[in-house]
Amino acid sequence: MATTDEGIRDSERSGAYVSAVRWMENLSDPQFAYLLLTPVLLLLGLIAFWPLLSTFRMSLFADNLVGSAALGEFVGLENYVALLTGERDALLVRPFLDPSTPFRSALTVTLIFTLFSVFFETVVGFAQALVLDQDFRGRRWVRVAIIIPWAVPIVIQGMIFFLLFQPNIGFLVDPLQNWGIFSATPLSNPVDSMIILIVADVWKTSAFMALIILAGLQSVDRSLYDVGRVAGASKYQQFKMITLPLVLPSVLVAMLFRTIGAMRIYGLIETVVGCNTVPSLSCLVVTTFRGSRMYGTSAAVAFITAGLIGLVVSVYIVKYADTETGA
Amino acid sequence: MATESDSSQGAFSRWVDSAIESPEKVYRAMFYVVMLFFLFTTLFPFYWLLVLALTPNEAITSFGFPPVPNGFNPEAFVNVFTTVPFHVYMFNSFVLGIATTAVVLVLASLAGYVFGRLDFPGKGPLMLLILAVSYFPPAAFIIPLFRLFTGNISLLGVSSPNLFNTPFSMVLPFSALFMPLSIFILSTFYGQIPDGLEDAARIEGTTRLGALFRVIMPLSAPGVATAGVLTFISVYNEFFFSFLMTSGEANNWAPIVWGILSYQGQYTQLYNLMAAASIVGVLPVAILVVVAQEKIVSGLTAGALKE
Repeated sequence: MATTDEGIRDSERSGAYVSAVRWMENLSDPQFAYLLLTPVLLLLGLIAFWPLLSTFRMSLFADNLVGSAALGEFVGLENYVALLTGERDALLVRPFLDPSTPFRSALTVTLIFTLFSVFFETVVGFAQALVLDQDFRGRRWVRVAIIIPWAVPIVIQGMIFFLLFQPNIGFLVDPLQNWGIFSATPLSNPVDSMIILIVADVWKTSAFMALIILAGLQSVDRSLYDVGRVAGASKYQQFKMITLPLVLPSVLVAMLFRTIGAMRIYGLIETVVGCNTVPSLSCLVVTTFRGSRMYGTSAAVAFITAGLIGLVVSVYIVKYADTETGA
Repeated sequence: MATESDSSQGAFSRWVDSAIESPEKVYRAMFYVVMLFFLFTTLFPFYWLLVLALTPNEAITSFGFPPVPNGFNPEAFVNVFTTVPFHVYMFNSFVLGIATTAVVLVLASLAGYVFGRLDFPGKGPLMLLILAVSYFPPAAFIIPLFRLFTGNISLLGVSSPNLFNTPFSMVLPFSALFMPLSIFILSTFYGQIPDGLEDAARIEGTTRLGALFRVIMPLSAPGVATAGVLTFISVYNEFFFSFLMTSGEANNWAPIVWGILSYQGQYTQLYNLMAAASIVGVLPVAILVVVAQEKIVSGLTAGALKE
């Protein structure tokens, strides 16, 4: 009895399976494509697109600091106006935009950090790429050494630089103070902290720059250098006339990715110096919604951050299109 | 004395003379100087961690330059696990990394198959929409997600499940954020498999999905490995959601971020343990980089350059 029962259930199950398979096999290409994309789109819809739209909607509502509801009444773009004019600054842990204290206000801190870290990462990354482009023994291991900082977790990167500049233990603090570069407590001085964060970021992410620029270098046609040499160009001239223009597109792509990354800076700050000393935009988002429960303001800051990144992305894309057509 | 400086000067000027004759030699020397400089700057911070970890904590005072361990105390590497349950934090990080990688590989394989091998209306815009996700800062997602995962969002009177302090509150955002890169990598790999191989499998009686998972995916093993390694490293390194989606206790699925920070927060003077914990935490990814170096390089450059 039992066996026949199971046999029947088995055939029923496989019957359903067979018909599902047949249904799937008979779908047209577009139908099948959308069927396969459904799980991805569901996940991205719930975890990415819905939160983005929801953040934008929140940013149009006032903060509700007394009641149990998260948001107050609808205020349109008032949060954005209040943030950009500095009216909201008094309520925030650190001001959003205050040109008189550029190392204390979120927007200027983020821009200063992004500008300097991306600049130095490009220079260092380019130099590293030129080293890795050479043929020499042990090249594989030099490449490993250069990539490893990229793979170090942000929290450990932060811990390393915290330990390097902690006044009681660091061997760097005393000499740097004697030379008049840093103060006695660099981790609580906003300017010193900014420099430390930029150095930490350059240390970790130059490798990413280097790898992308290296890929660009290796796609340069080697015979161009022979032509250059025959024409009597020096190494420097070869670099300037052949390497640089051909590698520029990949440099721009690498800079784009690093700019996006630098403008999000949060974890490194949290570990090395804390958001009070160097308040980036992401820091401000977190402190206003976790500490003060100012959801409207926090959402507006988050959306301004996203908008700023979007702006930078489009500038790079225009530049990139220029180099492609210009070449 | 005089003869010594004479001879060294002689050697130096001889080198300069030969260098003027063959500039190649100068470039070579410059190259080695620059290479050693980069080796020093990338590896020195790890050496500093080692110095701090091996020095007994009471002997940690201002170090001179170059810093050398002030004593020898390998016990720090044991105390790391007894002072806070650092192994549990690491285990949590591994679970989160492996779970996210599994989810991403399955879903990104489906999407990679679609974008790499099928033609359908709306393909280009849809791909752009998915890639656009990775441009947004995590800060632009966090507030609604935080409220969703703490049960503060209700739909039709049913409030969302409380996922805060569970792996789901991290695996879901990680998957969404790191999936676009994997979809991109896999679609280029899947697109390169000749149609004939898929057709042959289909004639043998495999279903379309069967052909994807039994023929296309195994043939694209290097691509799958690349996407997997990059996803795992990204999760292991992630800070933002790891930090904000748990309360920080090891038994609440808090990952390595909290393991390291708990030393900074609770044991503010135990610098040797902070350094030892950092070394232990770096080891898994360092090993992964040594083993999977080629995959990482090809994945990163493909992801960045072909877009």
